Amino acid sequence: MDSDEEDFVFYGTPIEREEEITSRRKKSIAEASGHLRALPPWKQEVTDEEGRRRFHGAFTGGFSAGYYNTAGSKEGWTPQSFTSSRKNRAEVKQQNILNFLDEDEKTELEGQSFGTSSQFDTFGFTAAELARKQAEKEQQQRPSAIPGPVPDELVLPATESIGVKLLLKMGWRRGRSIRDSHADSLYESRREARKALLAFSSDDAKTQLTDSERGESHLESSVEQPANDDVQSSRSTLVYVLNPKQDLHGLGYDPFKHAPEFRERKRSCLSDNRKPGYRKALSMKDSLFGFKSGKVGPGFGIGAFEEYDAEDEDVYVTAYDFEDTIVQEVEVEVEEPSGVTKDRRPRLLGKEQGVLPGFIVASKSDYQLERFDPPAVPKNFVPHHKFSGPLETDKKFADPPPPEVPPPDDSNMKLLIDGVVSLVARCGKLFEDLSREKNQNNPLFTFLTGGNGHDYYARKLWEEQQKRNDQTMLAMDGKSSLADQKMTAESRGKLLLEKPLERSSKDLSSSVSSENAIHMQYNLTDTFTKSASYSELPEIIKPFKDDPAKQDRFERFLKEKYQGGLRSTDSGKASNMSEAARAHERMDFEAVAEAIGKGKHGKESLLSTQQFMGVSPAGGMQFTSGGLEQAKDTQAENLTTKNMYPRREEFQWRPSPILCKRFDLTDPFMGKPPPAPRMRSKMDSLIFMSDSVKPTKLEESDAVNKGPYPTPQSDTQEMSKIEETEVEVKVEVENVERPVDLYKAIFADDSDDDAETFDHKKLEEPEKKIEVAHTALNHLIAGDFLESLGRELGLEVPPELPYLMSKAKTAALQKEITNAVAKTPVSGTPVDRAVLQQRGTTQEGESLKKTFIPGNPQSSGGKLRETDLSENRTGNADREKTKEDARAKSPSSRNRNRSSSWSSEDERSRKRSRLHRYSSNDSYSDLSSDDRDRYHSKSKGRKKGSYHEKSSNSRRKHHKHKHRDSPSRSYNDAEGKKEKKKRREMD
Amino acid sequence: MSQSDLPRKEATVLRGHEGAVLAARFNGDGNYCLSCGKDRTIRLWNPHRGIHIKTYKSHGREVRDVHVTADNSKLISCGGDRQIYYWDVSTGRVIRRFRGHDSEVNAVKFNEYASVIVSAGYDRSLRVWDCRSHSTEPIQIIDSFLDSVMSVCLTKTEIIGGSVDGTVRTFDIRIGRELSDDLGQPVNCISLSNDGNCILASCLDSTLRLLDRTTGELLQEYKGHICKSYKTDCCLTNTDAHVTGGSEDGSIYFWDLVDASVVSKFQAHSSVVTSVSYHPKDNSMITSSVDGTIRVWKT
Repeated sequence: MDSDEEDFVFYGTPIEREEEITSRRKKSIAEASGHLRALPPWKQEVTDEEGRRRFHGAFTGGFSAGYYNTAGSKEGWTPQSFTSSRKNRAEVKQQNILNFLDEDEKTELEGQSFGTSSQFDTFGFTAAELARKQAEKEQQQRPSAIPGPVPDELVLPATESIGVKLLLKMGWRRGRSIRDSHADSLYESRREARKALLAFSSDDAKTQLTDSERGESHLESSVEQPANDDVQSSRSTLVYVLNPKQDLHGLGYDPFKHAPEFRERKRSCLSDNRKPGYRKALSMKDSLFGFKSGKVGPGFGIGAFEEYDAEDEDVYVTAYDFEDTIVQEVEVEVEEPSGVTKDRRPRLLGKEQGVLPGFIVASKSDYQLERFDPPAVPKNFVPHHKFSGPLETDKKFADPPPPEVPPPDDSNMKLLIDGVVSLVARCGKLFEDLSREKNQNNPLFTFLTGGNGHDYYARKLWEEQQKRNDQTMLAMDGKSSLADQKMTAESRGKLLLEKPLERSSKDLSSSVSSENAIHMQYNLTDTFTKSASYSELPEIIKPFKDDPAKQDRFERFLKEKYQGGLRSTDSGKASNMSEAARAHERMDFEAVAEAIGKGKHGKESLLSTQQFMGVSPAGGMQFTSGGLEQAKDTQAENLTTKNMYPRREEFQWRPSPILCKRFDLTDPFMGKPPPAPRMRSKMDSLIFMSDSVKPTKLEESDAVNKGPYPTPQSDTQEMSKIEETEVEVKVEVENVERPVDLYKAIFADDSDDDAETFDHKKLEEPEKKIEVAHTALNHLIAGDFLESLGRELGLEVPPELPYLMSKAKTAALQKEITNAVAKTPVSGTPVDRAVLQQRGTTQEGESLKKTFIPGNPQSSGGKLRETDLSENRTGNADREKTKEDARAKSPSSRNRNRSSSWSSEDERSRKRSRLHRYSSNDSYSDLSSDDRDRYHSKSKGRKKGSYHEKSSNSRRKHHKHKHRDSPSRSYNDAEGKKEKKKRREMD
Repeated sequence: MSQSDLPRKEATVLRGHEGAVLAARFNGDGNYCLSCGKDRTIRLWNPHRGIHIKTYKSHGREVRDVHVTADNSKLISCGGDRQIYYWDVSTGRVIRRFRGHDSEVNAVKFNEYASVIVSAGYDRSLRVWDCRSHSTEPIQIIDSFLDSVMSVCLTKTEIIGGSVDGTVRTFDIRIGRELSDDLGQPVNCISLSNDGNCILASCLDSTLRLLDRTTGELLQEYKGHICKSYKTDCCLTNTDAHVTGGSEDGSIYFWDLVDASVVSKFQAHSSVVTSVSYHPKDNSMITSSVDGTIRVWKT
């Protein structure tokens, strides 16, 4: 931009380069300020033509930011700090686009904005807008006494709008009320009050109200309306409303001040005095408590900031209908003169008719709801339900009997007819019709349609119906109708106002309902499966009618006995009866069925309960006894449930020191370290218990046996102990595990972990394991007895295997053994039994073999004592046998019986078997099934060693495993045997 | 006490609560009673004269239980707002507010010296609060329950809680031991016999069970009433001769303590009976119900 360049003529706009621009500006600045070269570039400022700074740093606004460079408002782009205090409320500022526009932009916009020209300004909006703007302008020019914008009400359109003109031409005069549709909030809020006033202000307020109402909803009609009424007293600009006092409340008291919802409700209630049913539609629930659930506590809302959730549902709502009383109270409270309601009524009606504001109901609707005529009822239809059962027979009873007809020659035909007759008699006429329809073309069934054998059929049917009728009559006479017999003892007792028995009151809910369920099921299956042969059995034979459940079972039994077809699968083991009880009952049933059969043969035709009882009194006795037993059974069940609960458990609990202080008690845990957090679940607590038992057990065994390698004296002591009781021996077996126990007690805190560590240990150091086993044997049996036994063990694989294996399995759980009687009621299946049997025979074979192995004198002494013991045991076993019948059969108990029988054959083998029984069976059976389950589930997947695989097997299989073992196990054991042999040789 | 001495005659009806009354309790000497309800208020009454004395308002939601100290100077109340309010009886001001329960608080009790408050919550815990210090933190949280704790009783050395998990747990502070008596049925109310040897537990199978506290043995079961879905209280009479309890059909039952026979039964309310409280000395009883009334019964 030197002076020499000025000679060129430029055409068009040159592309300005940055430097050029800056340099030019610099020049201009320099020209303005006069000290261009004086300042370094970073200190030079760019200003616009008014000298304002144009460029700002990025952090101070960038390009043309700031107050004077921008939109022109002080707020502009600068962040506003919002302050609002109680005394100095922040103004709510309505921002619109004009706040963000420059003056020039505004002028631009001004030209482009649309507006109604004043000529067509029907409602005066534009005029009002203009007037308001004018007022604002004026206010800005000369500040008035009242700060702030001019209220809209004060600014009235300056010109007469076209609408006004129109209205005037149509006859409207100033001062008359037409509702302008421009309804601001103030107007809205005052509308109701105004109406209230208007209602009383003049005689024809009614018409006025309706008019105004309609005018509000649709303007067109209101425009037409005002021509009719001349006496319009109100002005459209009426603002101040005087509420007439019509209630009995104190001055200024508004009953609905805090509950405006009621205002509406009250009004509607009043207007509904003659319109019942409307209240229902506008029920409290809908209007006031329209919460999502609908189950809300009446009258007691929750805080405004509280979320309304499920917890707040009023649980008592069903129990107590509160709403109506509230409504009543409100009604009573705000009673108004009855005249008002009369006035109000049409208005509300009108409101109801106009469904939506701005819409009217069409006088003629295009839409026609399609309606269909109800199905035509046949002329011969009689609106009475016919009962197909005994009712029909009653009716037919009066019919004259068809003549007696000899049966048809064809015996097959006779049978068929008999069958059909019995079915028809049972199921009613409907069945006959059905079968007739079905077998129209079947030549065999022509007797139904009047063909061959129809007479016989008719006669038979009549006979059958007669018979059935008689039966029911008889039953009635015996004041035990069928329904009565199905009645439970409890309900009958209730009918007779008897005091309920102890038992019956106890199992009211559960057992009765289940009985009913069974009954129901039975009835259902009965209708489908009863065949001719069974139906000939008189139904009223209910030998067990004092016990409906048993009667059911009996009937099912009969059905199974005499009849094929469908039958319910759960027939036998329906209820929770024990097997023994079931067997007993079955025998009873057999006897009864036989008696019934006899009775039938003897009498042929009818059999009533009384007759039947007369025929076989002994049987009757039996049945009652059976029933009693059943009662006892349920009582026993109750007892067991009763015994289950209440269940007491004990835990350690640590009160906080301050709690003890506040209770004036000394802290039981004073000075002790904080306790470990207790496990939450019940399973865990069980384990916890077993853990806590451990140390004491350990001590116990310590007391018996000091040190890991006991002296011979202690051994002899142990010998005597062995012979004393089984339990004692078991303790000794535990003793074998002692080193492991110690290990566990010290290092382990969870039994499951124990199992795993033990497993590890076992797998890694099988030799050590064997040593443990060996020491165990050392502990157990002294001297040569040990030697002989050891030889046996060395020779024979099967007895040794389970011992070790079981030891491994039960390592963690063995401490729970407390007595020899098996507790877990695992019912033995036939397979189980077979396996056991098999095993028994093999064992016997083995033991026979072993008898030839010579024993030492000492060992024989041992044997002698053993025989004593064995005798005791067999006696015990016999005694136990009876118990075990009642008890659920567990394999272990069976095992014991079996083993006791062996004992006579060979003491040593028995002893051996006993040994491993202690270690395996009993320990297993002693564990609660729960515990085992947990044990299994936890151990699963942890280790794929043989041990866990086996433990996750079922208990039944476990017995097999004792004999046939997994390869790894047998390998270990083979090693163990070798080891033992070595040791023996060394000895 | 013979059968005829049972309070069966309605002496007074205390009206004032709006909506269900959830609990009504006699004070220590039986001259006054306290009630609380869905209307978020606690009311103090003279039940014998039928006078409403005072109303205590502060709870944000329904008040489920209330208890007063032996010297009648302080109140404790709890409710659906998960808070426990510690009130001054005469001024009606809240002295302290204990917050900490994660859910609704079902029951609350003072200990003998009114130094400690024990509260039972829907959050499966019992919490012990200190009245003497200014701390509003619980001094002990007992959370061994497996379900909502519905009711709590205190003796001189023990805290007893009954829970929906079917257990009645006794926490012996002196020994540091927890005894859990599993009844197998949800327990919605427990109350101590006056001799302190037995616990009466109201179970949701419509059965009241009497437990021996030392052995945990089930001594007796009382049936006949309906208690299946609501918390309905039960208690023993002041002589421990009878057991009384409310039913969901609004009737009151009296059982003989020993032979468990229903000695008396009458319709007391039109709706679920939420609470029964027996006078400590006289043959008098108050019952509260969802129908919004508290009724005073005398012989």
